[in-house]
Amino acid sequence: MSGYQVSAGVLNCKCLQKRLTNYLERGTKHLDQKKLGTLALIVATAASLAACSGGNGNNGSGSSASSSESAGSGSPSASASASETASSSPAADKTPVTFTYFNANSQVPDIDSNKTEIGKALEDQTGVNFKMQFPVGDVNTKIGTMIASGDYPDVLAPDTAIDKILDAKAFIPLEDLIDQYGPNIKRVYEPYYNLMKQADGHIYFLPFSPVVGDYIPNPTIDQGAFFIQRRVLKEFNYPKIKTLDEYFDLIKKYNDAHKDDKLTGFTSLTYDWRTMGIFNPPMHLAGYPNDGDVIVDMQTHAADVYSNDDVTKRWLKKLNEVNNEGLYDQSSFVNNYDQYLAKISSGKVLGFFDYGWQADQAIQNIKKSGNDDLDYMPLPIVFDQNTKDQYLDPPSFVDNRGVGITTSAKDPVRIIQFFDNMLKEENQVMIQWGFKGETYEVNDKGRYYRTPEEIEMLKDNAKQQSIGFTYFNYSWPMYGGGSTLSDGNSFNAGRQPEVAQASFTEGDKLILSKYGVQTFSELFAKPDDRPWYPAWSISIEQGSPAEIFQQKSKDVKLKYFPKLVLAKPDQFDAIWNEYLDAFNKLDVKGFEDTLTKSIADKIAKVTGGSSGN
Amino acid sequence: MRSDASVQGTVPHTAAVRSSGARLFFKRLFKQKSLICMSVPFVIWIFVFKYVPLWGWMIAFQHYRPNMGMFDQEWVGWSQFRFLFEDDSFLRVIRNTFAMAVIKLVLGFVTAITLAVLLNELRIAMFKRTVQTISYLPHFISWVVAANIISTSLSIDGGIVNQVLMWLHLIDKPIMWLGVGHYFWGILGISEVWKDVGWNTIVYLAAMTMIDPSQYEAAEIDGAGRFQRILRVTLPGLRPVIVILLIMNLGSILETGFEPQYLMGNGMNADFSENLEIFVLKYGISMGNFSLATAAGIFKTVISFILLFSANHIAKRVGDERLF
Repeated sequence: MSGYQVSAGVLNCKCLQKRLTNYLERGTKHLDQKKLGTLALIVATAASLAACSGGNGNNGSGSSASSSESAGSGSPSASASASETASSSPAADKTPVTFTYFNANSQVPDIDSNKTEIGKALEDQTGVNFKMQFPVGDVNTKIGTMIASGDYPDVLAPDTAIDKILDAKAFIPLEDLIDQYGPNIKRVYEPYYNLMKQADGHIYFLPFSPVVGDYIPNPTIDQGAFFIQRRVLKEFNYPKIKTLDEYFDLIKKYNDAHKDDKLTGFTSLTYDWRTMGIFNPPMHLAGYPNDGDVIVDMQTHAADVYSNDDVTKRWLKKLNEVNNEGLYDQSSFVNNYDQYLAKISSGKVLGFFDYGWQADQAIQNIKKSGNDDLDYMPLPIVFDQNTKDQYLDPPSFVDNRGVGITTSAKDPVRIIQFFDNMLKEENQVMIQWGFKGETYEVNDKGRYYRTPEEIEMLKDNAKQQSIGFTYFNYSWPMYGGGSTLSDGNSFNAGRQPEVAQASFTEGDKLILSKYGVQTFSELFAKPDDRPWYPAWSISIEQGSPAEIFQQKSKDVKLKYFPKLVLAKPDQFDAIWNEYLDAFNKLDVKGFEDTLTKSIADKIAKVTGGSSGN
Repeated sequence: MRSDASVQGTVPHTAAVRSSGARLFFKRLFKQKSLICMSVPFVIWIFVFKYVPLWGWMIAFQHYRPNMGMFDQEWVGWSQFRFLFEDDSFLRVIRNTFAMAVIKLVLGFVTAITLAVLLNELRIAMFKRTVQTISYLPHFISWVVAANIISTSLSIDGGIVNQVLMWLHLIDKPIMWLGVGHYFWGILGISEVWKDVGWNTIVYLAAMTMIDPSQYEAAEIDGAGRFQRILRVTLPGLRPVIVILLIMNLGSILETGFEPQYLMGNGMNADFSENLEIFVLKYGISMGNFSLATAAGIFKTVISFILLFSANHIAKRVGDERLF
């Protein structure tokens, strides 16, 4: 019921905006384009305010009506009186200003946003420059010290530490600002308001995954998969492998045949918070998508911690076996992220489990070297022949990652205006596709594509940074991955079929043809519908027993998993029992109950059923 | 107290003493005004940075939330301390902290004094200075870099330590040094020595220059050899410095450092590498529980206080130099 009302509201807003903009365009031809744009924006904002505040009958609708009237007359005073309501006159808009932005999502060099081409273009539009900073080391510690000092950057994307930031009330509520200055923000995010609202009813941050238009799945694998080096598949004439046993058998056979090359059979990343490489596979192998610490039952929706289950035992036992054959990289347990990436980039690792986004840097390095044999193939490996794999993410809205404006921000209005400007469709195109004629082309049918030279050029990380893709195509208010632009093109360049096909290397095309598919994701099963997905994005209260469980269970796992993998095979069971004792001492049941309840709540929110309860 | 006692005594006499005492005090104060002026900034510094923060100790008895005022917080009594002491891993953390502290203290003292004595015996100034400079250098490397150097040298794929040991046939397959918990204290101790031994010699070398050369001459005339001179003249001459430094170091013994343990620690050696600082980081700062972090800080201060005073007391009893 409530869902229906909201969408009706959006429709109203859009109609009104369109009519008013048309009217304005006719009436104000003598004004220059920029002024016109701003005026249209102001009026549209005011109109949407009037329409969306509905029957509240507050003075907001009254003032907006008067402003649209005066703006319509096109007199010089129009912009002045309009600016009183919307406080965004063209002059004030563009005074150069620099804000700080701490982005915990990625680890790249710090930069002034206007040093990049995209950032420069956005600065020309808005006058806003961002000093962008990125974490070195542990994010939680960095955010923890920010909270302790109460001194925040203007804009903050706290990644995993978002609960702490919310708990410390470090973000300012955004609804009013959006209503006043953010018609584009509203357009993109309104369908998701229900999920964005915190317990107190406010919206504090803008998530990164609001899908606009139709959903286009990713043709390449940026989520979890077992990666295997292509030369292994090639040597055995591209066999179809499905189970974990087959996967390791193949690696073993290859390694046996090339004893002198000093290859590494299998490696994992276990550093800092990046422990998914060893913690998560049991869940995927059993045929579930990434729900974090738990497997969620499809029928009962009950959360089950799988770290003390047989699936985990089976996974570790296999690794133990692999290690005993000398195929496992023992330094997995002491390597840091850089060492891990360097190891994979070296091309001597035959296989690993990871999430595409995490291993991407290393894989790109290999691609750049041009030796296709060393490149990797992502595979949906499971325990048993009859298990259906669920590696691909179901379409989902991640509601506990996002970017917000902090209480230290000097001028939230300018920031929200910047955000809003970013969300204009032409800017979203610039942020993902770059500049026409430089990084993409448009054919006579209006389809965007990239030439082979452009694709080649963009493989270079340095180029990605200087254009600004590295800094802008994530961690800002944005269309979610898989969105479609209003002209039918894909929002993500990588998901545009024309680009995907053109960006596949000869080796990619060969291996895809050997497996009889067009894209890498075709090898993976279609994701089932999981309205709660992803369970890892469910926020857990600071310092609550559930959070302490997470920390402690991580400690226990980090302590025992290496022991289990590196143990002599006959000691495995004894250590496993020791581990179970240690693990089950923790409050597993309490954690499961907390999550089961949160999952039920989220399902209710998403399906809109009993949200009123 | 003193004035109370004197009031009970003979009244007129006391009054006279008191007035003259006060006069004397101000007279001296005036006389030493430049000294007073010079020390005032430091007293203020100590007050601002060492005493003012003490009121923040209140946090340890609250369930502190950063967005609320100090007095709007929820008071929870000793529950943060209870969490600390009831936690299984806390005991282990304390054990690690003490073990690493003792290793660091003993190794640090022995190696620094030995190196200082050896340097002092060197005759060729050029060589002496070269050795000194080289031994100082690691002190200026930050732990982040140093930890990377150490973990690379100890790595199982091509780390220099394993290579050398293999070449000498001491081991037949590479050892994962940082993956075995028992080795951690040793690795840390050696790393600390490598990093700081040169730096720590400075104070001893300075102290040695204070020893009267005539003592050495006298010893030489009495027929003392080089080792005898070291044993009978140099070391006794260093004794006051050693005792003072020992007392001071005991006061900060629980500050076992944070960076090396954090940077070289991993799941496999966590049982031996986790110290109090890392515990506080994990359960305090990372979880936003500043109250717990403060409680652990108070605990640390109390222990350090006890250690410092007992060391000083013992030094007083055995009739040695002492801090106060």
